[in-house]
Amino acid sequence: MQVALEVNGSPHEVEVQAGEALSTVLRDRFELTGTKVACGEGTCGSCTVVLDGRAVLSCLTLAAACDGASVRTVEWDGELLSRLRDAFTAEDGFQCGFCTPGQLMSALALLERSPAPSRDEIIAAMSGNLCRCGAYEGIALAVARAAGDGA
Amino acid sequence: MAKLVKTEAVVEGRTEERWTLVEEDATPEWAPGAEPAVIGEPATRLTAPARLTGTARYTSDIRLPGQLEAAVLRSPHAHARLTSISLDAARSIPGVRAVIGPGDCPDFDGETVLHEEPPYAGAAVAAVAAETVGAAHAALAALDPVWEPLGFVTDLDEALESQVFQDDPSDYERGDADAALASAEVVLECEYVAPAQLHNSMEPHCAVADWQPDGVTLYSSTQAIYQARSQISTAFGVDSDRVRVVCHYMGGGFGSKFGCGHEGILATELSRRARRPVRLVLSRREENLTVGFRTPAKVSFKIGAAGDGRLQAVEASAVMGLGTGGWGYPVLEPVKSLYACENLHLMTLPMRQNLGPAAAFRAPGVMEGTFAFEQALDELAAQVGIDPIELRRRNHADADPGTGRPYTSKRLLESYDIAAELAGWEGRDALRGEGRIRRGMGCASQYWWGSGGPPAYAEVRIGSAAKPVLTVGLQDLGTGVITACAVVVAERLGVRPQDVTVRAGDTDLAGHGPFSGGSMTLASIAPAVRSAGHHVRTQLLELAADMFEISADDLELVDGEVRSTDGTLRHPLLEVTGKLGNAWVRGSGSRAPNPDGMAVNTFGCQIAQVAVDTVTGLVTVERIVAVHDVGRIVNPMGARSQVIGGILQGVGFALSEERVVDPTTGTVVNAGLEDYKIPTMADLPEVVCEFVGIPDPKLALGVKGLGEPPVIPTAGAIGNAIAHALGVRLREAPYTPRRVLEALG
Repeated sequence: MQVALEVNGSPHEVEVQAGEALSTVLRDRFELTGTKVACGEGTCGSCTVVLDGRAVLSCLTLAAACDGASVRTVEWDGELLSRLRDAFTAEDGFQCGFCTPGQLMSALALLERSPAPSRDEIIAAMSGNLCRCGAYEGIALAVARAAGDGA
Repeated sequence: MAKLVKTEAVVEGRTEERWTLVEEDATPEWAPGAEPAVIGEPATRLTAPARLTGTARYTSDIRLPGQLEAAVLRSPHAHARLTSISLDAARSIPGVRAVIGPGDCPDFDGETVLHEEPPYAGAAVAAVAAETVGAAHAALAALDPVWEPLGFVTDLDEALESQVFQDDPSDYERGDADAALASAEVVLECEYVAPAQLHNSMEPHCAVADWQPDGVTLYSSTQAIYQARSQISTAFGVDSDRVRVVCHYMGGGFGSKFGCGHEGILATELSRRARRPVRLVLSRREENLTVGFRTPAKVSFKIGAAGDGRLQAVEASAVMGLGTGGWGYPVLEPVKSLYACENLHLMTLPMRQNLGPAAAFRAPGVMEGTFAFEQALDELAAQVGIDPIELRRRNHADADPGTGRPYTSKRLLESYDIAAELAGWEGRDALRGEGRIRRGMGCASQYWWGSGGPPAYAEVRIGSAAKPVLTVGLQDLGTGVITACAVVVAERLGVRPQDVTVRAGDTDLAGHGPFSGGSMTLASIAPAVRSAGHHVRTQLLELAADMFEISADDLELVDGEVRSTDGTLRHPLLEVTGKLGNAWVRGSGSRAPNPDGMAVNTFGCQIAQVAVDTVTGLVTVERIVAVHDVGRIVNPMGARSQVIGGILQGVGFALSEERVVDPTTGTVVNAGLEDYKIPTMADLPEVVCEFVGIPDPKLALGVKGLGEPPVIPTAGAIGNAIAHALGVRLREAPYTPRRVLEALG
């Protein structure tokens, strides 16, 4: 079926299969391979993208249900995401980087709805994004730093 | 001049002798007291732009023209015989390009890849390659396997009774443990149980194989591109020079990705048959059934000591559950080497079970053994009534207890001092409290290798833009070794680490390097990198000397400039390199052997502070003080991150991570991340991280490895802290609320 999807600010019409995950469409059709699939069953957060302003698990989101939606991925070039990237770099908020696109997208959605989050809010918003390298301290500091830099 | 020398290398406790090619190295060490620039200053990761914009191509992101998708049929039974399978039915599914079953795939390091009698649930039986993932799964569904279930052993006690070993049992004796135990003033017996911890690298095992008439290219998520190359070469009979292995970005491995893996063999065989590139990406559940785990172990001690806590004898055994692979990891190494004790009798029993193959997991063996032994020592400290850190001091080993060899350096006693001070160890009893929440503090020591060694080679070149390019035969599994290498080059050439381009992760590049493991990578490669950088520096200074008519001995490279040491001459380095046109100034370097007859080890101490809710049984790790003695720190920013990462894996081991096997079916019931609990941001303790930071005087650059050390003592320290908090000792990890409540009665 045909779906209208705004991807990182650009409008697109894309043919999707029933049952096809948004992560598959982003990675295979749009070649936006920044979005990672580490479990494929909604338990790790690596595939997180921002859909109409909300952080969602793209591996569990049906592409067919996204008609008319706007999706942003780690490849987006917005100012707030750029600020988050700088903060992740400065705070060493990643090691292998495989979970990082999802971390960035969860952080982006958080800061858009809560520009100055408390530490507890950060932990609540980010705890669904697993990181096996254990970069959580840097990630938490980076989210706070990006919020502070925008204030 | 290059020459071949015979060297001894210790890789995760196994000593290997090997011939290596070494070039003469005239690179001077820094003068005593003269601190190098750049090295030791925090450097952000070179990979940040690629990893943070999504442009970094991991193996699972590779898409070659005509690429097929592979999928694997796996046994649902703990042990079964395949009585029939419909390979032709799968071949008739539209879009299917290759189907292979038992007997159709070469062995992998002598092991069967596609099993006719799969020995564990998850073992591969058949594989397909198709135009789409959907077609591949339709082909799997058409295979219609018929199984004859067979008997199985998964329980560790049953495995011991079965007496079927996966690796040779080991028996180590020193002195006379029986006699010393008979006459010891204090004798303590206890048993600890360590869980099977699953690696769960965020990037699953994956491979893309491209079989061509003139050779094979394998894109692999691997910690060892050269090992992967030789495995493909051996399995398929292709000259190793015609096998190219590429791993530019990797999403973690933690020991589970040494070599090409079964996925590399299967993808290559499917590509060979289909004449198309083939990608195979494991699912999370396949990952947790088939690629390895930290070996579960039952570790029993009989410890004899003098009344002052000095160890007189230890008799210990470790029963390890290796599943169907791996080797006898050195679980009892901490007993053998961490403290001075003259009388030992140590036995390890690496049992075979109908479970997936064990694999190295960050400090394999030593982490589990430290977890057990460091808690047993706390029990001894309580029995003889002395402070646990004091007990460890009294048993300090001044030379390697197994061989008598002197250490190149050892600063464990300083580590205790620093950690105790930072943790407030003296006041720990005042923490405990009487109410619902009890607090406690516990310590554990850390022992590991991490010397690095040859072979490791590097090439540095610099062109007219004055931006050095370093080529190394490494892969960066996410530790930051690439950035650390850039720091080492930057120091020699007076530039910023961000000015250095590092080319790595490709066996077709010049420069064979070490695998990423054993805490050996940086300690192996850094001296070679420095040497290569130094050769370029020497040539640049000579060019500058000619240009500015001054002796090269009076010049240095600092902050992107050529300067005279008296400060009168300052020119941008670009003025010199600008004369090169399209030419390069090039230098190469290699890693020299470590000193003969000495023990090279890393040491450290961690102190955990926990809070235990006596109503819910929930343990919260509030703080970990980590002090490690790993020689010179090249990049303190990356080093701190490594320490926190290791600690978190230790927290997971201690509190929440455990592979659970259903005893009635022999299958793993928690192979997904919903049921298998790795730490989240909410589980992050406060981490106080310090390095002793004194360069090892016997090693080039003074650098030792850091990958493994931080994971080693964490779980033992947490266990000791729980016992301090509750006055009750738990001996089976993870320390879940259920186990805590049971212990409290």
